[in-house]
Amino acid sequence: MTDVFYFTEMPFAEFPESEAEKYPSMRLTFPNTYFDPGKAHDLFKRYLDEYQHAEEMGFDGLMINEHHNTPSCMDVEVNISGGILARITSRAKILMLGNMLPTSDNPVRLAEEIAMLDVISGGRILSGFVRGIGIESWANNTNPIHNRERFEECHDLIIKAWTTPGPFRWEGKHYQYRAVNPWMLPVQQPHPPVWVPGTGSPETVEWAARNHYTYAAFLTPLDVAKNLFQRYREYAAEDGWEPGPEKFAYMVCSHVNETEEKAQEAGKAFLWRMNYPLRGPREYWSPPGYASRAGAAATAARRPTPLNELSYQELQERYHLVVGNPDSVTRQLRHIRDELGVGTLLLEAQGGQLSHEDTMRSIELFGKEVIPALKD
Amino acid sequence: MAAEFTEKIVEVGGQKVHMLTGGSGDPLVLFHGAGGNTGWLRYVQALADHYTVYVPSHPGYHQSERPEWLETIADMASFYTWFLEEQGLEGARAIGFSMGGWIASEVAATCRHAFSKLMLVGAVGIKPEQGEIADIFIISPAQVNDLIFHDPKQAPEYDQIYGQPPTPEQAEIAEGNREMAVRLCWKPYMYDPRLPGLLGRVNIPARVVWGREDRLVPLECGELYQQALPQSDLVVIDECGHSPQVEKPDEFVRIALEFLA
Repeated sequence: MTDVFYFTEMPFAEFPESEAEKYPSMRLTFPNTYFDPGKAHDLFKRYLDEYQHAEEMGFDGLMINEHHNTPSCMDVEVNISGGILARITSRAKILMLGNMLPTSDNPVRLAEEIAMLDVISGGRILSGFVRGIGIESWANNTNPIHNRERFEECHDLIIKAWTTPGPFRWEGKHYQYRAVNPWMLPVQQPHPPVWVPGTGSPETVEWAARNHYTYAAFLTPLDVAKNLFQRYREYAAEDGWEPGPEKFAYMVCSHVNETEEKAQEAGKAFLWRMNYPLRGPREYWSPPGYASRAGAAATAARRPTPLNELSYQELQERYHLVVGNPDSVTRQLRHIRDELGVGTLLLEAQGGQLSHEDTMRSIELFGKEVIPALKD
Repeated sequence: MAAEFTEKIVEVGGQKVHMLTGGSGDPLVLFHGAGGNTGWLRYVQALADHYTVYVPSHPGYHQSERPEWLETIADMASFYTWFLEEQGLEGARAIGFSMGGWIASEVAATCRHAFSKLMLVGAVGIKPEQGEIADIFIISPAQVNDLIFHDPKQAPEYDQIYGQPPTPEQAEIAEGNREMAVRLCWKPYMYDPRLPGLLGRVNIPARVVWGREDRLVPLECGELYQQALPQSDLVVIDECGHSPQVEKPDEFVRIALEFLA
């Protein structure tokens, strides 16, 4: 059984992308004068309709994420979009991947918000915790040197707030509270499942494994993902347990259409999200102190070709983008699943300038043909 | 006179501190900037012809250890009062460059007998009222180097300092230095709102030196330092960037020796 989740970053691709050439990056310092709230209103309505359609068509889960200072992702707060999905859907899991812990100054408020979502949704929340890409350290002005420390302490406090009866006191390095005693507590016991995304940082894999959390590899080459999952299994073995497929997920961009030809044509819309939004100076992506020496060394040794330097063909050959008719997409997704042993495929099935019509048709074909075939 | 100095590790409060020393005469302590200890350059040797010069690497920089509790410039200043006591250097003359000027200012404002004279060069630490201090963390180290100089051709040691690509060891140290600067100066970026008020306590002669064309720290900050320090003057060097000691070493040394005497 493979679970299939639907995801869009809710991009704002309503300006000529060549405008990005004028600036160091389409993130962080790309002027927000290109934003148009009227167009954003229409886009939010459209994207939320697509999420509803995805649930109706049989996706097992709906994934949302959060970024700042970028047209590539209009969702600036997963607990807002999560709150909407909690109310406009009724069955699918809601994967928030996730709340940025290091940039938060108030972990208890996060614990309350996620618990409230779990209560409203009737226990459908999968609570992703993320460090935030380097750009988020700039946008939120949180010292990158403390990123991992704050991630871990914020996490520890949230879990304790969910699992230890209050009131209790918290005197940490980065967070201090007199009376942790949130009235709002989650439905799921002992707490909503925790998910963690990774692109290669060795500390994150170990941390996820030690905590028995689900580890989701994001747009990493298959061999790199395989290696990361293998490390997870080794840490688990050290601790005397064996992770099932539910501990592993893989995120990939995907578009399915009636014919191969139509799919290949429409799928080009994803090149928008692979290009300018992934460019920018090293300092934006990795401010000094954000990555440990081990993490930086691992990245340097892996040296995958940046996604924005790959052609449409190469993106497909390397399984960053799975495009085709229902048979071809099913075959490719099965290959990924079997190769990696993942329990969940996270499909970014709307990306870049993919139109509403193409997105809705794709969701329908996934629901009618691809997802049932992956349940074998 | 030929460069003559020794490199050593001393202990302060149980922490190892890496330091260069040389010369003879009364003690003079140099506080390096955010980028790190640039070593025994021509201007240091020229000062060592008149003084015994001490150039410690700040905790967390180079081979100097960072105590777990040291996270801010104010912490750094506390550490240096300890350093001066343990090394018998209380009452020394001091020169602080850029971020080192901020540290030396905090030391002087914290402890009236720490120094006998204080000189600041392109110092950060005070928030400019009009301009901004350039963000050196969001641009590459090469871009920072470009911003440091008004005209690199007039810096006699430019090639010696920047001519060769760094060895892996040097690159590792540079990265560690940059991370330490981020730890100390991320927010508020390169200033402490308390500092102008605290500087009113400094009761020793002070001289503020600035390159008129400083593109990292606006000259305005030099004016604010001069206004905040009760017994101070401001010397502005024309046609010069953020590091007069490297870009115009002879003029810099003349201005320094005149003040320190």
